[in-house]
Amino acid sequence: MEAIRVEVVSIIIFFIGLYGLMTNKNILKTIMSLSIMQSGIYLFFISINNTPESVPPIGSEENAVFADPVPQALMITAIVIGIGVTAIGLTMFMHYKQKHNITHWTRKRSDEGRKT
Amino acid sequence: MKGGKPNVLFLLILVPVIIGLLSYVIPNRFAKPILILSQFLLCIFSFIVFFSVKENSIYLTNIGGWPDGYSISLLADETSAVMILAVALIYFAFLIYAYHQPYFESQFMFLFLVLEGLLMGLFLSGDLFTIFIFLEVSTVVVSILIMYNKEKQAIYDGMIYFFVNVIGTAFLLFGIGFLYRTFGILDIRAITEMMTFLNDPSAVFIPFALMMTTLSLKTAATPLFSWLPKAHGTPSAPPVVSAVLSGLYIKSGVYLFIRFSEMYAPIINMNHFFFILGALTAIVGFVMAIGQDDIKLLLAYSTVSQIGLIMMGINIGTEIGYIGALYHILNHALFKSTLFLTAGNISEEYGTRNIADIRGLFKRMPGVSWITLFAILGMTGAPLFNGSISKYMIAHGTDLPSVTVLLYVVNMGTITTYIKYSSMFFGKSKQAKKATVDKCSMAGASMLGLGSLLTGLFGVQLSEFLFNYHLLVDTAEYVQKGLIYLLMISAAFLLYRYVIERSKILYKIGHIELTFNGIVTSMVGYFIVLILFLRLFI
Repeated sequence: MEAIRVEVVSIIIFFIGLYGLMTNKNILKTIMSLSIMQSGIYLFFISINNTPESVPPIGSEENAVFADPVPQALMITAIVIGIGVTAIGLTMFMHYKQKHNITHWTRKRSDEGRKT
Repeated sequence: MKGGKPNVLFLLILVPVIIGLLSYVIPNRFAKPILILSQFLLCIFSFIVFFSVKENSIYLTNIGGWPDGYSISLLADETSAVMILAVALIYFAFLIYAYHQPYFESQFMFLFLVLEGLLMGLFLSGDLFTIFIFLEVSTVVVSILIMYNKEKQAIYDGMIYFFVNVIGTAFLLFGIGFLYRTFGILDIRAITEMMTFLNDPSAVFIPFALMMTTLSLKTAATPLFSWLPKAHGTPSAPPVVSAVLSGLYIKSGVYLFIRFSEMYAPIINMNHFFFILGALTAIVGFVMAIGQDDIKLLLAYSTVSQIGLIMMGINIGTEIGYIGALYHILNHALFKSTLFLTAGNISEEYGTRNIADIRGLFKRMPGVSWITLFAILGMTGAPLFNGSISKYMIAHGTDLPSVTVLLYVVNMGTITTYIKYSSMFFGKSKQAKKATVDKCSMAGASMLGLGSLLTGLFGVQLSEFLFNYHLLVDTAEYVQKGLIYLLMISAAFLLYRYVIERSKILYKIGHIELTFNGIVTSMVGYFIVLILFLRLFI
């Protein structure tokens, strides 16, 4: 069980997301894979300087091991940005789907023909 | 920290955003003069920052009152002060250019000025996480600007740009995580100091590879440039957007590359790798540029090639080459923005972007043609123009004959590309009448176009002024380079006339493009190659 550490799990999650990005042609699945990849990163950050014994860095307990507050603060910011990015990605996708009814990354510039 | 200095650096980031917000709220006819005026004040302010940096060599603001190294910091050093000056001045010209354009409305102004603030932030921020945030937000803003006209092609290109760059910044964030785990700190200068205490470079292989993947994506290095022509050459994107992307925004990637390689310099030195990568990028860039018919796409691929040249200069390993690359960053910002702006005028007048259909430009739009010609002369390195100075400096950075030949090949490619581009000056236009061009757009474009002549004429003084570098130009050698330039132009003309114009292969090469999944896969491949290279050679 020692081998299954949080960092290892987070790296695996990151690469699962990346695999999804490499192989999926569906734009919606791209957005989902992106979220999976980002949650791997969040998990990795949270695991930095964090042991099972550590307590939240609030209050005035002495002799306790505090969890590192910096990565947590960073990740709150990153999660908010991640939500924004997902929302914008979905908005673009919705607009594109409704207007042109395309859901996949298949179209090439050369197929379009250079008009105008 | 220099004592007694007011903390004003954040104003450079905040003021454009606030002015943008203001111009979103108040009516257009009031907003535009305010915009120009405030941009002018911002130029003056960045001059003040620049002179202060010149005096004290560094201008540092720690936010929140934490000790140096732990707090979020804004930092203007000699390189970033020059970049900020360039951003402020070139933005001024952009705003004048766009003054009467139909798309220059409140929503556009807001996004455009926010992008300026973000650019300033990218050049100023001194810690890794802030850089990540600025990159992410600027990706969002840029992709909205690309798809501003909501055309089908533009939305598709904007989406590819958006997702590819978000994945890129995710790589950066992961790399920052690894670095934080090793050092427990985020400030770039503090990490640089701590790097020297590392015994084993393999501890930072993974963050190095992750971060360099992001930056190679941002600077459009060889396997990863597929997004750039899509983003910079989108047909319906306003000309100022293409100009700001190709002129300024891409330079933030180059700047971050300089910062990050300095950070890793104590233990990892990959100059040779990135030099070869830059050379490859430069060659692939011009080969693909020659195959284009669309003027905007041709300019976009030429940006790829020029960024490759800048990467060669940065990694050439000597001071004169490095300064030459920095100078070329500024020069490229000047002439490539000019070319994109005038390309906007040209395609608006002719109603097409196909080079073969645009003829007789000198008769139909004389003013625009002269500005374009200035920029082309700057780009190809004609004597007296700015490109010649920076290329002279980069060429002086090496003693190896093979590298010199390589630089000549790259310059030859650039010249051939622009021989093709300038074919639209001549011939007969269908409509003989002179076109009327908006005066403001002419003023904005000619400011930048004349800039590329002036920065060439005063190249020696400017390199002393901007970089504190005393450049010695050997007159005899400079004249000789001028003669070589003339020879190369005639050779390139013959090459173009008799070989390239008839070649189908180049057209096909120019139209190779990767799909979205292809781009992501090549990113992962690039990451793996970097890791392997580090394992084997460092």
